[in-house]
Amino acid sequence: MRQLGDVLLYFLTGVFYWWWTGHLSIFGMAPDFIFLAALCVAIIASPVKALAYGFFFGVYMDLLGTNMFGAYALTYTLLVYGIHSMKRHFDMAAPFSQIITALVMSFVCMLFYQGLSLVLAKINPLSLKNFLTEPFLNAAAAPFIFFIFSRLKRKFGIL
Amino acid sequence: MNKEKDLTDYVAVFFVVLSILLLLFPSTKIVHSARVIAGYSLYPTLYYGSKYAYYARNVPDNFLALIRTDQENRALKDKIKELEIYRQSAAAVFDENTRLSAALGLSNRLPWKGVWARVTNKEPSDWYGSFFVDKGSRQGVAQNDTILGFESGRAGLVGRIFEVYHDFSKALPITNGVSSVICSPEKGGFEALAEGKGTWLLKMNYVPEDSELLAGTELFTSGGGLLFPGGVYLGRVLKVYPKESFMNFITADIKPAVNGNNLKEVFILHPPKADGIKGF
Repeated sequence: MRQLGDVLLYFLTGVFYWWWTGHLSIFGMAPDFIFLAALCVAIIASPVKALAYGFFFGVYMDLLGTNMFGAYALTYTLLVYGIHSMKRHFDMAAPFSQIITALVMSFVCMLFYQGLSLVLAKINPLSLKNFLTEPFLNAAAAPFIFFIFSRLKRKFGIL
Repeated sequence: MNKEKDLTDYVAVFFVVLSILLLLFPSTKIVHSARVIAGYSLYPTLYYGSKYAYYARNVPDNFLALIRTDQENRALKDKIKELEIYRQSAAAVFDENTRLSAALGLSNRLPWKGVWARVTNKEPSDWYGSFFVDKGSRQGVAQNDTILGFESGRAGLVGRIFEVYHDFSKALPITNGVSSVICSPEKGGFEALAEGKGTWLLKMNYVPEDSELLAGTELFTSGGGLLFPGGVYLGRVLKVYPKESFMNFITADIKPAVNGNNLKEVFILHPPKADGIKGF
């Protein structure tokens, strides 16, 4: 039953991301809810499950784009592993630390993806507009997503 | 505790290696199969999500549209009778044209057949790089089909189909950094390469230095290109750059015929290809 809940959460996150970017993005900008979901899962879930979530969220993002297949999967897997290592030293249950983590990790992930893309495909996928705005949108939305995910874990035992 | 840490490390290494394999061997059969299988995870979003969101969003409008449709229907019935007469006359002219074109060896460009599709997803991080449409192989869409959009009542080139699933497809717009189109002005004279830059503009390269290219010149796809049918409106020259001393061609910026930001519906056409490039 829990596994079914995990699968459902995975698809619902994808649907929510699609709906938000399609209907509520302003000037082509919106929080990256898949990134935030991977981040929150990394904080809340058990490490093995979080890694699987991170990988499959990355695959989902890779499927939506036309660039290198596997780049987001690698980025989010490393993101989850990084967060897992960091959370032993920091209290990530507090909203402020979630905001800072989301902000910093957004920049790190964007630069990592950019680097991968330049090295392997020689194309520049990152627009300056996104680079300057998306991390702040992510940071603003991070505590809300964390709240929803932690409620889901408490109520239904998902994650 | 150590056991759990070991397991976490092993799982992390497994997923990292898997990701790197996907990255390094994108065109192998196994990776392609994995991609196709993983593509089905987009179904809840891009098929069911877009389908029901579309219906739900349009319920109030649909009531009004129903009333208007009834009125229009009556007017259109009369119009149809009138047009039927024209159609019969046009059909005769079309048959004659097809016959004469075939005789002259010019039959590859017409007729255009295709399907209308709605744009169901655009990725903010890849805004000018890709989008999804709600038609797939079940509706006859095939890889590399040409996508047209309409702006101010005029059709223009938007891109081509990149990946096809059963009920939706991924499109590669001409603004993507890896897209390129062979184009020429309406009057001909030279051919050049319009390339996507990942922004709303296109870059026109390899324009011969002696060509009289001016800002405002309208450009069309060239029949010489394999991917797109000839004669499709591509865009308008926005700015011509002076020749650099070390190059023997000039470059220009092109404003695409259709603004990708406003794209809601597109027409996917299956251009008939010559026998030699059917498998392309």
